[in-house]
Amino acid sequence: MGVVTKIISLSFIALGTLIVITYGGAQDPVISFIGMFAGLMLWSIGLALMGAGRTTQVKPPPPTITEIRCDNPDCDFKEIRDFEPGDYILRPMEAHCPKCQGSLTIYGIYVVLEQEEKSTI
Amino acid sequence: MQFGNASEISWIINLAFFAFILIFSLYGAKIQMWQWLKQIEAGLIELKRMAIESRQRAIDTFKEYGRSEEEVATELDRWLDYFLIYPVDLDPAGILQRLDHLLDERRDRYREFVTQLAPEAGPELAQNLENTLEVAQVLSLVFRIVRHYYLLGKKTGSQILIMQIHMQMPELLRIARAYFEAIDAFADGKPIGDGVGPLVVTRFAREYGATPDQYVHDVSREVGYYRVEFEGRTVFAVRATGPGGTVGKPGVAVKRLVEENKGAISRIITVDAALKLEGEELGRISEGTGAAIGDPGPEKHAIEQTATDHDIAIEAIVVKEDEAAAVGVMRKRILDSVPEVINRVKSAIRERTKPGDKVILAGIGNTIGIGL
Ligand SMILES: [Zn+2]
Repeated sequence: MGVVTKIISLSFIALGTLIVITYGGAQDPVISFIGMFAGLMLWSIGLALMGAGRTTQVKPPPPTITEIRCDNPDCDFKEIRDFEPGDYILRPMEAHCPKCQGSLTIYGIYVVLEQEEKSTI
Repeated sequence: MQFGNASEISWIINLAFFAFILIFSLYGAKIQMWQWLKQIEAGLIELKRMAIESRQRAIDTFKEYGRSEEEVATELDRWLDYFLIYPVDLDPAGILQRLDHLLDERRDRYREFVTQLAPEAGPELAQNLENTLEVAQVLSLVFRIVRHYYLLGKKTGSQILIMQIHMQMPELLRIARAYFEAIDAFADGKPIGDGVGPLVVTRFAREYGATPDQYVHDVSREVGYYRVEFEGRTVFAVRATGPGGTVGKPGVAVKRLVEENKGAISRIITVDAALKLEGEELGRISEGTGAAIGDPGPEKHAIEQTATDHDIAIEAIVVKEDEAAAVGVMRKRILDSVPEVINRVKSAIRERTKPGDKVILAGIGNTIGIGL
């Protein structure tokens, strides 16, 4: 939601409130009625503007990660990098482990979502 | 009632009040229909955007493999409303064989279409392209159906039509969004959440010494197995061929394996992804009895019938996922559940079979991005 829309809608609401306070309680019923009506009108315009400015922003998908691990069970080497075309889980890599010179395999390809929803109930 | 300056105003207010009541009681439904149609329209616009963008994504993917963009676009449009007529169920005898036959035929047509449109793609890429095409097709179908009811409702003013589509809209949008986000996974060949079954089976087989070369190909269409020894038991670890995207025909494979090993199979364990209930944790593991497989019918039937005919115990281990996780790129949580599923498989074999037994472990699911 743009700052401009926010300011405009808030000023509509503020103006509406001002009118209701000033004229809403007037002795003359005509002025009171018109003041009430105009104030509430401005209120609803402000609220409608606020709702209309709410855009659903599409988040870019999280990057896909490729995790490569050493095949040697005693070695804990792992490398995490971005997914590259041609990667697949359990693909043997050409490079060798920098720690123990063992062979490397793609252990997993996955995405991590920012907020993995967790139910509170 | 008192007349005068003040009461004239109250008279007008009274009149406005009654007019308001009158308008809403007479035209309330109309106003509501108008509002609902507007909301359906908003959803429809999103569905249309997803259908168009997924079509474009499919074209972009296909045109890399040998044909021009125009050719691809023309052919693809011809293909987007390809349909399958379900077999008649008034005479249910043999309906599964008929359905199986039709599904085979459809797979052949898809394969043929993909090889025509992407002649330079290898067999594994062709499978991924097939999946990409299917996603574009689903989105196009959803859009066209919703548009049909929207226009029909608008034309006839039928409240029931408008109401139905309005009520189903959130669910339709949720599923459409899941597929829309999945198209990248299929086009790039990334593993998806549904692939957890084959992944578990392959990891298990690897742990007991299986190599990609030992995989026995094509017991049934695009499904094979590793034969591994686990604590004195022989385990046939069944999965579809990868890393191309396919689910194959695992039911037929299980049936053939049981028939080949006459009477020797003592247990069938299926591993699959299952739909989680809202509120349940993603990647949660559940166990149960039966065949965990979500095909249109023939594969599940083959497993159940074989198990019944040969009196084989049958159990299922599932990983809970929602639609978006099942068709989207595999989530970390699902990958993290794999070791625990393997432990459950091991204890199932240990506790419920004897050394010397033969066991079928079938990993059901789409093998896209999961190597042998
Ligand atoms: Zn190492």
